[in-house]
Order: sequence, then structure tokens, then C-alpha cells
Amino acid sequence: MSIISRNVFRALVQGSQHVSKGVHTTAVNKDKNVCFAQHTISTLQTKEGRIKCTLIPGDGVGPEMVYSVQEVFKAANIPVDFESFFFSEVNPTLSAPLEDVVNSIAKNKICIKTWHTSVTSSTFIHLYLHAIYLPLLIYSASVKLGHGLATNQGAGQKGVPQGILATPDFSHTGELQTLNMKLRNALDLYANVVHVKSLPNVKCRHHDVDCIIIREQTEGEYSALEHESVPGVVECLKIITAAKSERIAKFAFDYAVKMGRKKVTAVHKANIMKLGDGLFLRSCEEMAKLYPRIQFEKMIVDNCTMQMVSNPNQFDVMVTPNLYGNIVDNLASGLVGGAGVVAGASYSAECAVFEQGARHIFSGAVGKNIANPTAMLLCSANLLAHVNLHSYSKMIKNAINK
Amino acid sequence: MAVRILSRLVLPEIKGAAFASSAAAPATLSDFDVQHKTPVIRKQQLIPKAQYGGRHAVTMLPGGGIGPECMGYVRDIFKYIGAPVDFEVVDIDPNVDNDDDVQYAITTIKRNGVGIKGNIETKSEAAYVTSRNVALRNELDMYAYVLNCKSFPGVCTRHKDIDITIIRQNTEGEYAMLEHESVRGVIESMKVVTASNSERVARFAFEFAKKNGKKKVTTVHKANIMKLSDGLFLETSRRLAKEYPEIEHNDMIIDNCCMQLVAKPHQFDVMLMTNLYGSIVSNVVCGLLGGAGLLSGRNYGDHYAVFEPGTRNTGTAIAGKNVANPIAMINASIDMLEHLGHHYHAELLRRAVHRTVNEDRVLTPDCGGTASSTDVVNSIIGNIGQVGH
Repeated sequence: MSIISRNVFRALVQGSQHVSKGVHTTAVNKDKNVCFAQHTISTLQTKEGRIKCTLIPGDGVGPEMVYSVQEVFKAANIPVDFESFFFSEVNPTLSAPLEDVVNSIAKNKICIKTWHTSVTSSTFIHLYLHAIYLPLLIYSASVKLGHGLATNQGAGQKGVPQGILATPDFSHTGELQTLNMKLRNALDLYANVVHVKSLPNVKCRHHDVDCIIIREQTEGEYSALEHESVPGVVECLKIITAAKSERIAKFAFDYAVKMGRKKVTAVHKANIMKLGDGLFLRSCEEMAKLYPRIQFEKMIVDNCTMQMVSNPNQFDVMVTPNLYGNIVDNLASGLVGGAGVVAGASYSAECAVFEQGARHIFSGAVGKNIANPTAMLLCSANLLAHVNLHSYSKMIKNAINK
Repeated sequence: MAVRILSRLVLPEIKGAAFASSAAAPATLSDFDVQHKTPVIRKQQLIPKAQYGGRHAVTMLPGGGIGPECMGYVRDIFKYIGAPVDFEVVDIDPNVDNDDDVQYAITTIKRNGVGIKGNIETKSEAAYVTSRNVALRNELDMYAYVLNCKSFPGVCTRHKDIDITIIRQNTEGEYAMLEHESVRGVIESMKVVTASNSERVARFAFEFAKKNGKKKVTTVHKANIMKLSDGLFLETSRRLAKEYPEIEHNDMIIDNCCMQLVAKPHQFDVMLMTNLYGSIVSNVVCGLLGGAGLLSGRNYGDHYAVFEPGTRNTGTAIAGKNVANPIAMINASIDMLEHLGHHYHAELLRRAVHRTVNEDRVLTPDCGGTASSTDVVNSIIGNIGQVGH
């Protein structure tokens, strides 16, 4: 009897989680096959062959770097028009509404963005103070978000260069989701790609590092499901789903095929998190069967980080869940010269957002003209390749290598 | 016990709630999305779709003969118009007897969902080596083949303004590849017709007619001789016709049909037929419209779609001579763009092809012109620039 009742209790609890999840992730695509932001007229809105692109300067040194990108585009006479949005979490009053930004990206389908700051410890204070109201807050936030999405459907554009949006360590509103996470969830930007490649003229410990790190970024530890069940005990839920794991695994293999790579490494910690990471790992193994000409291997995250600093040349394409990806991204960026030289991109089915590989706003360098714009320029080169402007893309890449 | 019932009561509701929240489907889905979202029969596990940042991954099988050169033209044009498609090229060596390459090609189509192919050669005539084209269609269960036959005003032909759609059962019938020699000198070849496959393709035909505003469906058969097999096919289509009262349905025997086609082709609208008749009739119609190099065909299953030139011949004799007609493959690529939902690029390319063939009349020798393949492609690329504004 006790077993039965416990099972029932679990069913109820899981059920309520289902429901609550259903409520506050209206933004997130549950169904892996539904692509949000359907475009009716399809593809790039070109007016006289010009491409429109959303631009998010972000915080810290972001605006300076974005400026350098705009200068280069102007100098090279590249047919791209920017639609700029000030979007910031540290400055909530000046920030453009999330809906507008999401709409613009969904319409343009491309965006370039620098990083946002996240806020940490006061989130916790807020959480502590508003433990009771929290569900309500999340609910209202999600309703707002959901509304933004509903109005957004049917809009249609494609890639977005982004600066870095900083997220402070505390929250002004008591929301657990940062602006970056909201943006990702709203657009379902599930795949983050960071291409770590040694630049010939940047002096580093390792040479010829050339690996692609692909990270799931809409679930896992970043689910923003944290709560304090008893004072002094905080639970953070890490969510892994088969649908999203399969989706990211397929993304990684397809990316490897597209780039002509030989090997995909799944990074996990399934020896400890046997169910969660286990599911991720199994999904990757399933997908690997469809790609008989690509080698598949798996590696535990701690060993992976060690291998990465001692022998980074062994890696080709890596696929990781959310948090490990974040760590490995930054580690790998450090290997080839830091946050200033690595470009990244986030993809949904419909949109692409181009941003720096390592996410750090570097506020210390603001206004000093010392921030390294290479990463943003690489981003813009990738953006141009994405919209079939290969000659311009090559032009920028060659200029960087010189 | 009561508790158990409670749990049973609670769970379905929860599932329902979770489902409803994700049901906010976008208003317009491309055919590609529909295939990934609502397959009629869920036979295999659904694979996440290969669409990233608005770009689709598509398998390209150049095949033999003129295939590789035509695919080269398609890629040039796609690069020029900036179509958001990334090709995964799989070459199949015609001289190798094993099926590794073909199996790999099938796997890539399974994960990309969409393919574009030339005709694949099967050099070996050994009984145990199956035709690779047939193997591809059977493995992917692409049961319906659609050939849109519309006259090109710029191509000189005996009949004008023909507009026929041929829908052909693509996986069974005479192509069941079940042949054996029971006694020396006596060979039996089996033709397999199943009710389920007949129904699927008939429903496909009527749905197609409904969706595209067609008036009439004609079932082509030989049920006067093959009373059971073709009889089943005919009966199934008659039964389904009752579900679509707004569409006229009639049937015609294959021999009469061929005669009518060359004499009075305008009486036909949508034609529905089994495998072998489809092969014959589609070639007849292609001949009426100006040859093998113009039309494009589409293979559909529940999950996959493969696009190819309308007549399935490799054209090995004219390979490498720069005289092959690239229009068929380009039309196939237009169908593919349409299927993926890239209507803007499809329309751009369609208008450019229309202009090249019907207004500028830049045609290869097979259609009575004098231009080379590259002339045609260059003309199309030039026209894209003009129709784009």
C-alpha cells in the first residue's frame, strides 16, 4: 500500500510539474518538430538585394565591438542593413522589450549580438523574500513571454549578430530566467556552436587547435527551476529530455557532415548522473547509428577538460549538454587566445544568432579602445557565409588572418 | 485500490494539458514540415528535422550519365540565388557490386528527409543485384510518384497546352522483383498489388487533386485481363472516389489510354496508375511535351521526399558533351525548394526558367535548339538577375 501511495504521490508531483512546465515554457518548443516563428514569405527579406539583420550591441565592451563591425561593413560596402536594439538586463529601464527583439530576429532570421551581464546574488535574496510569490512571478513572466510569442507568430526573417548581454548576479524582478535565456527560449535557439580555431599570429601554448563545440542551451541546468523547499535547502532541477537530446545530437552530426569532419565526441557525466546524462548519452548513441561514416566517441566531462588542456588536437566536433558546454567553450577559447578571438553562433530551426564564443562582457575595458574586436568580426564573417555572401565573408576572414 | 484509480484518472488529463500547450502550430506549414510533423503512419521513429538557422540539409545523389553535370548546374544556380540549402553529396560507384553506397545514401535521406537525385546506374545484370533506383524507393517506402506535365509554350510540339498530372504507385506491382524459374525454361514474374498500398496512393491522388483544384481523376488499369490484381487497384480507387464527390472519377484501360494520350491528350487531368503503366505513360507524355530533358518527377512517402528528372534514364551517351538538357534537373530543384517551403526562391527560379525556355528560347538540341547546356544555365542565371527586381 505504501508503495502504491508513494507512486501515486510521485505521479501527482510529476503531473503538477508537467502542468507548471506547460505553463511557463509556452515559449519553448516542446515538440521538436514545431518550428517557432514560421515565415510565410520565406527566407531573407531582400530589398534590392540587401539583407536585413538584427543587431544587439549588449553591455560592457559590446557597443564598441559592434561599432567596429559596422565600420568594416561600411568600408567593404557589404549589402547588409542593421536593425539595432538596445537590450540589457543591467539597465532594464532603457532596454527594448523582449517581444520587439524576438519579433525582429524572427523576422530577419539573422542577428548579431554581444553578451549580456547576468545578475546573481540578489536573485537569491529575492527568492528568499518572495519564496511564496515566486511561482506567481514566474507565471506572470511566462504569461508575458507567451503573449509576446503569440503576437510574433507568422513573422518571418534569419540570422542575428549579437553582442554579449551581461546578466547581473542578482535579479531586479525576482525572475530566475536571465535575458539571454529568455531570448533563447523565445526563439528556441537550442544549438550553440563555437568554432575554436588557432589563429596563426596569436601566440598560445597550443597550435593548430581546430574543434567545434556544440552545446544544447535550452534545458539541462539552465531550466531556471530552482526553489527552496525547506529554509537552507535549495533544489535546482536539471532537465534532460529525449527529444531535445536527440535534436542536439542530430544537429552535431549534421554539422559535422556539413563541415566535412570525421569525429563527434559526446561529453557527459553519465557515471554520476546515470539517468539524466545517461539519457543524453543514449540519444547521442542512437543518432550516431545514422552516421556510419562519422566516428563517435564519448568522454566524461572531467576527463574531457583535462584532455582539452593537455592534448586539444584530438578533438574534432564535441556535443555537450548545457552547463558542460558552457565550461568547455570557455576553456577551449582560453586555449587559442581568449574571448576576443573566438566566434560562436546559436541556431534554431529558423533563425541564427551570431555572437562571441566565450561570453564575457569585459566591463574593465569599456571605453579604453583595447577590447579585441576579432571575435565579432569573425562572427560577422560567419553571418555573411550563412546568408550566401561568401566572397564578403572570405574578404573579412582574410583581413583578420593578415 | 481507490488510489490506483485516482492515478489513472489524473494522468491522462495531465498529458492532455501538456499537449494542448504545445499545439499552437504555425499557420502555414511547408510540405517538408507536414511530413515531419504529421506522418500518416508512424512506422519508424521520428528523427529531428535537419533544418538549422533556416537552412536545410538535403541529400544529393548525382548518379550516372548526365547526372553529375546537371547537379553541378543546380549547385551553381543555388549559390547564385542564395537558396538556404546545404547539399550532402553522396556518390554511388556504379561498378561496385555491393550495396554499401546505396545503403549509405538511403541513411542520409532518412536523416535529411529530402533528397535530389539523378538516375543511378546499376551496371550489374546479375539476378541478385537489385536495381538501385528501385531499392531506394522501396527502402524509403516512397509509394507515390508525381509527374507534372505542363506544356512549355517555347518548345515546339504537336499538341499545345497540355496539363496532366501523373500519379503512379511506386513500390509494388510489377516492380516487386519476385522472379523465379520454377522449371527449366519457365519463368514466373510476380506482380503484387495490395489493398493498403492501392488505398494509400489513391488517397494521395484524390488529396492531390483536391489541394490543387483539379477536376478529374482517371484510373488507368488492365482489369479486363488481370481481373484480380488490377481489379483490386481499380476497385480501391472507385471506393475512395466516393469520399471525394466534388472530383470526377473515371477509369481507362492502359492500351486505350496510350492511344487517347497521343490523339486527344487534353481530356486528361490527374491520372492514377500502377507501377509499370506509370513508367510507360509518363514516358509517353514526356515525349509529347518535348522529350526527356524538361520535366521533373517527385517521389513521396510518409516521411521522405526525393526529387528527380521526370524520365528515369541516365543519358550516358551524351554525358560530358555539354549538350544535355539541364532543365529537368533544375525543375526538380524548384520542386524541392517548394517542398521545403522556400517559395520565394522557387518562384524566382521558376520565372527565370520560364523566361529562358519560353521567351528567350535558349534550348538544347533535344528540344530543337542549338544552345549548349552551359548556355542554358547562363541564360537562366542572367534571367534571375532580371526577374528578381
